Amino acid sequence: MDRLILLLPALPLVSALLIHLTATTLRQRVARISQVASLLTFLLAATLLGLSLSGDAPALHRVGSHWGSLLFDPLSVLMAVVISGISYIVHVYSIRYMAEEPGYARFFILLDLMTAALLLMVAAGDLIMLLLAWHVIGVVLYFLLGQDTRSHTAYRYAFWTFFTYRIGDLPLVLAAVLLYQAFGTWSLPEIFAHIDATPGVTTLLGLPLTETVGLLVALAAFARSAQFLLHTWLPYTMEGPTPVSALMHAGIVNAGGFIINRFAPVYIHTDDALHWIFLVGLVTSIIGSVLMLTQNDIKKSLGYSTMGQMGFMIMECGVGAFSLAIYHLIAHGLFKGTLFLGAGSVINEARRSDNVPKDDLYTFIVERQPARHRQPWLLMAAITLAVPVVVFALVHWLVAGDFFQKQGAIVLLFFGWVTGAQLLFSTYRMRTQNLWRTVSMIVFSFTIVVVGYTLISHVFDLFLYPDRDMPLRLYAAAGVDLAWFLTFMILVTAVIVLGWLLTYYSDRRQRYGKTRPGHHWMNFYALVSREFYIADIYSWLTRGLLRLAGRLNVWLRWV
Amino acid sequence: MAAWSYLVVGLFLPLFPLSMVFNLLFARVSQPLARAVLLLAWPLTGLGLLHKLGADVPDPVLNWALATSALYAVRLLVLRELGTWTGFLATSLWALLWIPAHEGFELADIALDALGFSAPLVLLVLITVLLNRRLGGAYAGISGGLAASLPRLSVGLIICLLAAVATPPFPGFFSLLSVLMLASPVNMVGLLVVWLLWSWAAARLIQGFVVGARAADSSLQDISRPVSWGLAMAFTALLVTGVLLTGDLL
Repeated sequence: MDRLILLLPALPLVSALLIHLTATTLRQRVARISQVASLLTFLLAATLLGLSLSGDAPALHRVGSHWGSLLFDPLSVLMAVVISGISYIVHVYSIRYMAEEPGYARFFILLDLMTAALLLMVAAGDLIMLLLAWHVIGVVLYFLLGQDTRSHTAYRYAFWTFFTYRIGDLPLVLAAVLLYQAFGTWSLPEIFAHIDATPGVTTLLGLPLTETVGLLVALAAFARSAQFLLHTWLPYTMEGPTPVSALMHAGIVNAGGFIINRFAPVYIHTDDALHWIFLVGLVTSIIGSVLMLTQNDIKKSLGYSTMGQMGFMIMECGVGAFSLAIYHLIAHGLFKGTLFLGAGSVINEARRSDNVPKDDLYTFIVERQPARHRQPWLLMAAITLAVPVVVFALVHWLVAGDFFQKQGAIVLLFFGWVTGAQLLFSTYRMRTQNLWRTVSMIVFSFTIVVVGYTLISHVFDLFLYPDRDMPLRLYAAAGVDLAWFLTFMILVTAVIVLGWLLTYYSDRRQRYGKTRPGHHWMNFYALVSREFYIADIYSWLTRGLLRLAGRLNVWLRWV
Repeated sequence: MAAWSYLVVGLFLPLFPLSMVFNLLFARVSQPLARAVLLLAWPLTGLGLLHKLGADVPDPVLNWALATSALYAVRLLVLRELGTWTGFLATSLWALLWIPAHEGFELADIALDALGFSAPLVLLVLITVLLNRRLGGAYAGISGGLAASLPRLSVGLIICLLAAVATPPFPGFFSLLSVLMLASPVNMVGLLVVWLLWSWAAARLIQGFVVGARAADSSLQDISRPVSWGLAMAFTALLVTGVLLTGDLL
């Protein structure tokens, strides 16, 4: 029965073909073909997930002898359900949304091709299928973002996406070639078995194979998931239709987290690869969040928000919490997809009413009117710092008592604690009738979120990695020397506390009219508002190369 | 192998500046059929000669070949005329065939890779003819907005360009993969960069032709349905033979 996985990418492909053949006769009704096919795909994916949950063992199903296989395993079927589900919603949404746009049939053909490519990517059982899907996603996305063929701007930014994706294709191709050269097979399960048997294999220039492949796969993931220096395409690709933005932010951009999970058997044999992944994720999440906060364009702000989230997802992989990254990408996908698809309704609603809730929270956050009367600061500081850590520790202790032995779990707990503390800190001076009621509600909802997050991630861990040894080995591969770990934690704590103090100090000075932005501060703001000039540097390099190409052609008389 | 032999082979498996001979010839030959024959026969002649001479290819020649491929890939970025573009891409593609030749090769295998590179270029010649007939020339940027005025031909052009720059699952991709498997680490990276440049050049060309407002000339006739079906069949054949022959699926 699990052979049905072969049908998963086939259904949207058949739909694309049918739309192409019937577009002139059925006209706008072709969308129904696409909608039905995407519903069937979702149902099929759900059935396969059911099979996997009921205990069907992972299996490889082949079409060809050398390559052309699909893998039925928990990761592939879970991702297939997510992709086909989001794709179905996007299909339904697009039927009316795209009705007045030119190229209606073409849009649904591309949407189906994208769904097929994404499903092929998550279910690929060999490196050729993976490369094929990985590459085709970039190409189809280019044309989806350029759905409006009259718009040069749309194509300009679609090209940025295409080019970054192509940069991401190259390390994956290199990794595939190195793996094939080492083991003489394209099949992923066979490669992973070989690596487990002989993890010390070396490759080109005597480099360790697992480390090299781990870093190359990570590079491919960085390009796909908009990590720092390969991120410029993401905030600028809002020219495409809204359903494409939803699909891109909810599904396609998450591919980085997926590919790192797919190569988990390689990462357990690496020494430093996961540390680099953590570092890149950390830098991306910080820069993404800073840029998000400084944008005055809501769409770019959403783009940078996705960048920050992707950084966090990659960081989770870097600390060894692989299954948590999958949970994160699903949760973020649903959340961001809803934001994009709901944007039109929100704008429409806002035209009728400003819909501003005149409550305590709004008055406090938006109108910045804090309470005159304050609670004792020592009590509030104690609550702010103690409550999140107690909640996190209790919940984790209930789910998995040994979490203190995993450095990765502690790093994530630390981030959770900082977030929780900030949430409580912000209520300190809120003008409200009953502060204790508000604080209790916040603590209660915070606890629910933490319990949900922890429990679900634990369930994901059990489902995705039934071999209980695997997550432990991943945490071990992500671990660092204790002295380094403590130094890092102390440093980060110091930075955060300093940041809080600075914010508090500047807030107070500003309130009493004592501050004017300093020269350095304005310079920093200019740097951030120009997005660190990264896109400008790339444009400058591009222009330089094109100028060189032009001169070469002139010198060589165009032959 | 004597130096003069490399000079002769370098005409057919392009080595700069000998590569200029092919491009000059390709520019002079305006007949589409002659161009197609040239595209198919030129690299095969080079491979045949190399095989007949039967000597090892030294490393400097290999580096020279990769540099030639990179040079033409860079120059491709700013080309606007589809015919010249096809010739430059062919030069960049065929120069890579020195890599399997360096490693010692079965003529049949490498000839298949050469055909995998050349076959989409033949279709590109056909598309150039179709564009010339309608627009009087095949210049990207000058005649933009073809997606609106000639939608079927635009689709043909896009698929053809993607196939020509070794996009999977077209045969060029598998040919490139088999060349990659034989390359040294440095050449591997160089080869991948060249591949990136091809994609960039193709995207620039697509944007120059396809994107923009509908052409002012309303008398433009798109390709007929039979021609469109013929192109579709050719692409399918290219795809299937690519996956089965150069891709070695079965």
